[in-house]
Amino acid sequence: MLDPFTRENIAQGLLAAADEMFYTWGRTSQSTIIYEVLDYACGLTDAEGNLIGQANGATMFLGAITFSAKAALRKFGKENIKPGDMFLTNDPFTGSGTHLCDVAAVLPIFHENELVAFAVNKGHWNEIGGKNLGSWSTDATEIFQEGLQLPDVRIYDCGVFNESVRDIIAANSRTPEMTLGDLYAQTAALRIAESRVIELLGKYGRDQVVESIEHILESGRKLALIELSRMPKGEFFAEDVLDTNANGVADIPIKVKVTITDDSMEFDFTGTGDAVFAPINCSIYGTYSGARIIYHALVSPHTPANDGFYSPLKVIAPEGCLFNASSPYPVSCDWEPIQILTDVVKKALASAMPDRVPAGHFLSIIGTIIGGIDDKSKNPFVLVEPQAGGWGAGHNKDGERGLVAICDGETFIIPVEVCEYRYPVRVEQFAFNPKVGAGEHIGGHGLIRDYRILNSNAALTTMASRHKHPPWGFAGGHDGSINDVQVHRSAGGYESRATWSNEPLAGGDLVRFISGGGGGYGNPHNRPADKVLDDWKNQYITATEALEYFGVVIDEVAQTVDEVQTKLKRQI
Amino acid sequence: MSIRVAVDIGGTFTDFVCLNESTGNIIEEKAHTTPANFASGVIDAVGKSKINLSEVQYFAHGTTVVINAVTERKGAKTALVTTKGFRDVLEIGRANRPDMYNYFYKKPEPYVPRRLRFEIDERVDYKGNVLQAVDEHEVRHLAKQIKAENATAVAICLLNSYANSAHEQLIEQILAAELPNVEITTSSSIVKVWREYERTSTTVLNAYVKPAARLYLNTLDETLRELGLETQPYAMQSNGGTATFNLAKEMPISLIESGPVGGVIGGAALGKVLGEENIITFDVGGTTAKTSLINRGEVKITTEYKLEWTPQFAGYPIKTPVVDIIEIGSGGGSIAWIDEVGILKVGPHSAGADPGPACYDKGGNRPTLTDANLITGRLNPDNFLGGTFKVSLQKARDAVKPIADHFSISVEEAAMGIIKTATSNMLNALKLISVRRGYDPRDFAMLAQGGNGALLSPHLAAELKVKKLIIPNLPGTFSAWGMLMTDLRQDFMQTMIMPVEGADLNKINEIYDEMEQSAYAVFSKQNIDPSRIMLMRSAEFRYIGQEHAVAAPVGAGKIDQEALYTARREFDRLHNHHYTFSLPDAAAEMVNFNLTAYGVVNKPDIKKIETKTGSAEDALKSHRDVLFEGYGKKNCPVYNRPMLAPGYKINGPAIIEESKSVTVLCPEQLLEVDAYGNLIIEVMAEV
Repeated sequence: MLDPFTRENIAQGLLAAADEMFYTWGRTSQSTIIYEVLDYACGLTDAEGNLIGQANGATMFLGAITFSAKAALRKFGKENIKPGDMFLTNDPFTGSGTHLCDVAAVLPIFHENELVAFAVNKGHWNEIGGKNLGSWSTDATEIFQEGLQLPDVRIYDCGVFNESVRDIIAANSRTPEMTLGDLYAQTAALRIAESRVIELLGKYGRDQVVESIEHILESGRKLALIELSRMPKGEFFAEDVLDTNANGVADIPIKVKVTITDDSMEFDFTGTGDAVFAPINCSIYGTYSGARIIYHALVSPHTPANDGFYSPLKVIAPEGCLFNASSPYPVSCDWEPIQILTDVVKKALASAMPDRVPAGHFLSIIGTIIGGIDDKSKNPFVLVEPQAGGWGAGHNKDGERGLVAICDGETFIIPVEVCEYRYPVRVEQFAFNPKVGAGEHIGGHGLIRDYRILNSNAALTTMASRHKHPPWGFAGGHDGSINDVQVHRSAGGYESRATWSNEPLAGGDLVRFISGGGGGYGNPHNRPADKVLDDWKNQYITATEALEYFGVVIDEVAQTVDEVQTKLKRQI
Repeated sequence: MSIRVAVDIGGTFTDFVCLNESTGNIIEEKAHTTPANFASGVIDAVGKSKINLSEVQYFAHGTTVVINAVTERKGAKTALVTTKGFRDVLEIGRANRPDMYNYFYKKPEPYVPRRLRFEIDERVDYKGNVLQAVDEHEVRHLAKQIKAENATAVAICLLNSYANSAHEQLIEQILAAELPNVEITTSSSIVKVWREYERTSTTVLNAYVKPAARLYLNTLDETLRELGLETQPYAMQSNGGTATFNLAKEMPISLIESGPVGGVIGGAALGKVLGEENIITFDVGGTTAKTSLINRGEVKITTEYKLEWTPQFAGYPIKTPVVDIIEIGSGGGSIAWIDEVGILKVGPHSAGADPGPACYDKGGNRPTLTDANLITGRLNPDNFLGGTFKVSLQKARDAVKPIADHFSISVEEAAMGIIKTATSNMLNALKLISVRRGYDPRDFAMLAQGGNGALLSPHLAAELKVKKLIIPNLPGTFSAWGMLMTDLRQDFMQTMIMPVEGADLNKINEIYDEMEQSAYAVFSKQNIDPSRIMLMRSAEFRYIGQEHAVAAPVGAGKIDQEALYTARREFDRLHNHHYTFSLPDAAAEMVNFNLTAYGVVNKPDIKKIETKTGSAEDALKSHRDVLFEGYGKKNCPVYNRPMLAPGYKINGPAIIEESKSVTVLCPEQLLEVDAYGNLIIEVMAEV
């Protein structure tokens, strides 16, 4: 029996190995999407593929580590995995989970020829082929248009690098050097984790390390059960729609039944619409990742991720539905179904546990590409970025203004000054979108970002859900406002859509990204009048809106609340 | 007339160090910090030391006034002026969510509310071309609005002002004339670097603290003069150099980390004397542990500093240079507790100085790291802080008992558990500054400081596997001592993106000339003779397509093609060091041009201490039992540090006591006193 402090030291050592892998990859990658956007994850699992610890920059990768390791175990069998092996997978349907750009590498770790753990990492490669530069599009109709598929291939076989696979990857990428650079950096990071785990095995012995791993999983499970015991039990229902209109598909119904018992939390998505021929499907493993995000947020947001902690989570998604698509359905914008999945679960539980759930947020990443050939340099330019938006109000706070969506995390928007230097655009405003959900606590403000095109030509690709159906308010709070992408032509007039695919733009055209405001919480008439006055002074609302939504009468000259009139108004 | 004084105001104590250069004598004093009026704590400390200020020829001052005003939100009511369409940039920030699974995450609240953020209809493009000129009437109208709001400070940060600052200056002139009692800060006077949010944040924070900093520095200056100080006092800046009070009043944000940098600069200065170019400083006080890395004698500076940053909070960016220090909430006063699933944690909550650890017997009953050190024999209850302070071993044991009971182990074992957990946190911080940034600890000496540094570092030095450990003289006030070793320093930065191939050499020379003229002007205002000015240029390079840049040194004099290529090759080398690869054949560009200007001041010699014939046995005062991980209870000799002399050797395990600090030498370690009185420890075996 190990003393509790040594056991904890070993546990910290294992978590530090996952962290160090994360830092190493970030430092060594040549790809901006890895080292700037942190669109990658690193973790360790036990010999069965159960997650021990994970470090990631975006929430979308919560299922990435464990299901990638389990996929390798399933395909090859434990007895056929040898020291010096390494596997690559981006197959969404067998375990990798997310779109083809995200490639996972799986490295088995041995102690005296016994498999004891896996080091796994997964990240967004810049380019993996397919019909569009950057490999993702908003109008693919099958997965074959979205890039090269790597279905658990043995890239290292007992220490021997498979050059044929390398050559296939290189031949299928528009930027082979950078793509292979991603692979090498990813491998180097895995080796760091491997050597740290081997050090721990050497220092403490196999039994002590294994005991420590079991304890990590057991502590995670215990903690989850404690939190579950504090939650209301029963069945909770919600529905919504995914309204991207990609490839012209109609709104897709999204349904969930959440069942909470003393020792489990189950999400049943039966009733959700079928997969579609637009890149807004996700695989069952993508669905698991999304389910883990919302489970994690609901149960205990600051608990480290491990499979003990996730063990009470059960997910049901019927085959063939949007949340359990299979080949050849396209998945390149799978963040859209994954995000609405998190949101519909939240919506089901909002009234039952307002202390753990705020109102709906703008939800869409509004992944954006503006690209073209620069008139002056004749070189291609590609502006790729997520948009930030408004978050929902909670029982104890207003919503946050301008934050990246739930599937993102340590993701940074591009500074205006950097955009203007690097791309032939002028940003004409970057400001709050005034429309938010009213409430005792108001929704957070979305953003308005205007790009004036200074080049003779360019093309716009983007997707924004919540284009018709705004983020929801609750407990009496009002709904927020929608996401919208508008193209204002220099000749006059504009068009507004949720999804744009390679839309031609001319010099002088203006693209306006409007991200939605979050939903409100509580009856707006309960918002303290002095807060409403503050909102007015800060020019978030007009005096008319103060009256219309909040029942507060503001004396605009004296800059005070007319207490008497307000009282009268609020009594009605 | 050869007395040097440094005063360092910390959270709990104001440290005072005075060096008499002719005798080499050092006096150290501690007085309580007096937050209501910081100057009175300084006066207390000076009084205690019985120093005649008129004999002082160098006076350096580290202060927490600026950081306190910011974190406690006690600065001025501040207005912000931005380009039309961009007043919300300050609040939008970079929109990142470090606390990824928390739906209740709160962004950093802006220091200027929206109603005080004003827009001016003007525009400059990224090249600095004016697209829309400033209308002076609009600015005068704005002055009325600012007046009506009773703002006492104004920050001006316009889009692309790093490329052309004329509009900021024009607005400043008009507002200064209209609002004579308002402090104004333009972004271009602080940092000419791109990224509007980070620049705005820096400018706003400077404006926010300017009135308070001016008042404080004026008050202190007057008081010091009344006490007889004749020389011009210097303020310690976060960049590791000093500035005169007059300059600090204009750019108080550069004092944000004024306190902790002294220890790092001291580390570099001591390392120079000892021939150690590579040093990891490790400073453990009552509530925090801080570590910094010195590579080849160079203190690491960062322009990525974020105030109040944590892994779960985005923090407030400050673009002025700050010595790169990692700080964690783990110190002697850190409280040990059991979490929900029964795992022992230590910190980040601290018992502070009041009530302090349980053993202080001042009403604190929660177990702390200091209590654990007492129980395991590392600290001596009869010689705590040199015997000036009575502590209770029984209270310490009582406090640790519940933890022992929880795990069904003895109080001693529980105390070892607390030490193990706390040091494991500290080890992570030490790895963060070294291993994770591509440095091998085996190439570094560790320098311990702070009240608890010497106690914990022998064990940690072995775990981190550094080549040796240095315990300097008076480790408890080493940070203040370090301030005696500083030069004046000013940093200048200019963003200008330019490819290396076909670079505009004239433009580069123009940028450096302009910055150098500014440096000479700044130092001439501080009465520094031009012969004492040292200039160091660098430029931040990156491969085209990259976002992050790496600073590489640039030669002095006129830059020609050859000089530029030399800098480029140095960039490749540094990139390889930091990021494990370089692309010598890929196109590169320069992003920022930087100049660091030093005003070199005379520094004291570090004197050797008197040699004696004899051995460490002469300093032996007693023996006591100490519990060591993996060794159990060991009976250790206890030595009196002031009695040690150069060349004396001590084999671990052993305890070396001095008035404000204790060194715990682990089993199998070897200690030798060097010519200056530093304790040099071969950390050797893993413990």
